[in-house]
Amino acid sequence: MSLLTSLWAVPALGAAACALSGRAARWTALVFSLAALGLSMAALRPILVSHGAGLLVEGGASGLFGISYSLSADGLSLALVALTAFLNLICAFASWELEVPAGYWAAFQALAAAVNGVFLARDLFLFYVFWEASLIPMFFIIGLWGSDNRRKAALKFFLFTFTGSIFMLLALLAVVIAHQRATGVWTWSLPELTGTDLGAGAPWILLALMAGFGVKVPMVPLHTWLPDAHTEAPAAGSVMLAGVMLKMGVYGIIRVALPLVPGAAAAWMPILALLAGVNAVYGALCAMAQTDLKRLIAYSSIAHLGFCLIGVFSGTAQGLAGAALLMINHGVTTGALFLLVGFLYERAHRRGLSDFGALATRAPRMAFFFGFSILASIGLPGLNGFVGEFMCLSGAAQSPILFGGLPFYALIGAIGVTLAAAYALPAFQSVFWAAEGPNSVSPKVFDLGGRESAILWTLCALMLWIGLAPQPWLATLAPSLQGLVR
Amino acid sequence: MTGLAIALAPQAVLAAGVFGALGLGLMARPSPMWARALAVLAPLAALAALRLVVPAYLPPLVDVDFKGLAWQLVIYAGALPLAICSSGDDVETALFLGATLGMGLLCAAGNLVMLFVGLEFMSLPAYLLVARAGAQGRSRRLEAAVKYFFAGAMAGALFLFGLALYYGETGRLGPGAGALGGLGRAGVSLMAAAALFKIGAVPLHWWLPDVYEAASPEVSGFLSTSMKAAAVLFLVRLVQIAPDPMFAVVLPWLGAATALYGAALALRQKGLRRLLAYSSLSHAGLLVLGVGAWARLGGDPDALRAILFYLAAYALMSNGAFLFVAATGVQTRDDLKGWAARSGGTAAAFAALLFALGGIPPTGGFMAKLLVFWQSLRAGLVWPAALAALASIVSLGYYLGLVRDMYFEVPAANCAPIDASARARERILVLACAVGAVVLGLAPLLRIRP
Repeated sequence: MSLLTSLWAVPALGAAACALSGRAARWTALVFSLAALGLSMAALRPILVSHGAGLLVEGGASGLFGISYSLSADGLSLALVALTAFLNLICAFASWELEVPAGYWAAFQALAAAVNGVFLARDLFLFYVFWEASLIPMFFIIGLWGSDNRRKAALKFFLFTFTGSIFMLLALLAVVIAHQRATGVWTWSLPELTGTDLGAGAPWILLALMAGFGVKVPMVPLHTWLPDAHTEAPAAGSVMLAGVMLKMGVYGIIRVALPLVPGAAAAWMPILALLAGVNAVYGALCAMAQTDLKRLIAYSSIAHLGFCLIGVFSGTAQGLAGAALLMINHGVTTGALFLLVGFLYERAHRRGLSDFGALATRAPRMAFFFGFSILASIGLPGLNGFVGEFMCLSGAAQSPILFGGLPFYALIGAIGVTLAAAYALPAFQSVFWAAEGPNSVSPKVFDLGGRESAILWTLCALMLWIGLAPQPWLATLAPSLQGLVR
Repeated sequence: MTGLAIALAPQAVLAAGVFGALGLGLMARPSPMWARALAVLAPLAALAALRLVVPAYLPPLVDVDFKGLAWQLVIYAGALPLAICSSGDDVETALFLGATLGMGLLCAAGNLVMLFVGLEFMSLPAYLLVARAGAQGRSRRLEAAVKYFFAGAMAGALFLFGLALYYGETGRLGPGAGALGGLGRAGVSLMAAAALFKIGAVPLHWWLPDVYEAASPEVSGFLSTSMKAAAVLFLVRLVQIAPDPMFAVVLPWLGAATALYGAALALRQKGLRRLLAYSSLSHAGLLVLGVGAWARLGGDPDALRAILFYLAAYALMSNGAFLFVAATGVQTRDDLKGWAARSGGTAAAFAALLFALGGIPPTGGFMAKLLVFWQSLRAGLVWPAALAALASIVSLGYYLGLVRDMYFEVPAANCAPIDASARARERILVLACAVGAVVLGLAPLLRIRP
């Protein structure tokens, strides 16, 4: 089995192995998660050595219906694959003491397999198959192991994504057919389809593609599934949803939508960037209004992905690189926050902001990690969030295609940054510092144990590392995005 | 004459099966084993005989071409689950084999009269099969059979009247009539209405949910797969023999409307069988859309393959879903609550079938929908395809809803324990259909040269 294939096939085998290994499933999951992380590092190594240059390709010859088994990976793909493997391992540790059946562990492995397939596919048919296949394990993760309102949330999650992606499928088919009309060759290969002349249908195709990817990101107004899904999912499920699955949407925009319809995308870029700005501000405003800690973090994801898209739609090298880094950052930071809320919920079975108070004295380690992650999330210089958001906004300020080079979009983004502090810090304060109210469940909360602390030390170290030394990360990610710079 | 014998070898095998089953009735006390063996062996032998047949056009009556052969493959294979679940009743076996024979004759039809013979030959035994087969709900079955009979009789009458008009103008029963005048087009429209009646396309669908709900689930599986495949071929043959520009315009919209209507009504059903009946209606809509795309592309073989693949995938999915009902006796959606905790194996198989029916990759149902959408867009049918996509989304509401009922709900406190050894044949068949439905989706990937 060659390297790129193994990146999705090993987790897929892991899913089967977990399902079969009964009570020992957590150990199986651990072994396969470690193997997947090792393989992704092995794949990433040559690209790290060559500072982001290089492209790994596998397969290629097209067969039935012009479909080919072909994978390719550059710095961006492999960074996201590595993020998936890393978060999956973190999730395995975080769920270690849960009383869950083998299916739980199998679902996470299957999810990693499908998501990695999305990041690696060079053939659009494969891309779509992996894209849709990733819904099935997450549907079960939310529906079986989520909290009270899980059934509705699971269905909503699946239906929203499917609705978007079926229009994406029609758009992909339209491109494939247009390519066949022009050249007489059936193919689903992304490099070959790039540059197909789509004529007057191009804006519609862009719209349909953005419907598919926009639901996943999610872009306002297609975001309404996210707060429910992220809130109802089990902690590890929320980590994978926010950390990895939202990135599929941004990755799809970068890898598929913008290259396939460059002309229409350029024409619509100001509108799309405006929507991204709305994301950043609206997500933050909604987060301010939340009384449930997990829901607050879910809405903050919408805001963060808004910054990310502002960077993407700026069309500048800086903005795109910032967006790519922000994808990694958000995975790490929001992952940590969801895990912390999960640990809190395991102890107190509550998540409301007003259910707690004065936790900093009862659980100082938890308070430290929470504060650290919150600061990273709102973009404190020196931590990871700052680098990505700053680059996205400065890219938007310099962008020649947005608002004639005036920093209008950067201004919207800046409002979003300010609002981030306005929702995150009061939430932190009311849970950890404010006096306990009459209904406080704080006495139930005990501090993090060794396993939990180790997980969060790892994540926080990563936040600090990316914040202090972002250059190697940017060098790995940025060359993949050169083609989109205008 | 030898050419005819070879071309119709599968049909001859089935006819021998029918007479054999009728002959069993003459024995004093026939063992059910004989009838069961006959029910399984006759379609298998017909499938084997299919290998001998070479495409041949033997005017005026017989035209065994690629589609005739391919459709027979799907029809005979789709009939196997009902054959395997056969109760061993000799009359039911004769009826079942007779209906299958009628479908085989329809596949070999070379002109409109032969098409009519095939239509009636497959329909008449099916009415009786609906009325007879099954253990419970006799009065409902009889009512449904009568309704089915009237609907079928109406379709037959429409066809004959249309045929008379068509013959009156063109003087032809076979292909090659050229452009039609008003009378001929009216005739073609009536004949097409008969075909759409049998497929169950909106607005000629009203008989279908009642019949599928009341018939025994195995029979409903047979009607929704083999019978539906034959009805679709009926429409395809009609378009082939009497091509009219109207087909390319009307069929896609009718198909999209049927898909949407079926999905919307299935969403509201509480009974599982009725839900599956409306879901079958929705799938029929996609098939009609596929035929429309085929007509619009001027009889393109790729478009025909898309329809054929859809039918093959649907034969597995629909048979599997109805067999789940037969294997478990689940009547309503409430009965399904917490099913995964009570019977993990059947729940997993049914969930796989539901994902396939919903068109989620990597299953055969996804490939089937993809191919139909693909051909529709190739034919420039953007809006009907978009409507059908909308229907797919709506349909996911109930397919996923059933998965949710099975996996995310808890069983009712007073539900009876499940006997895991009962109805083993049906259980194994459900599993086989589920595996087949998934593998069919992977097949195009497996055939890709690396």
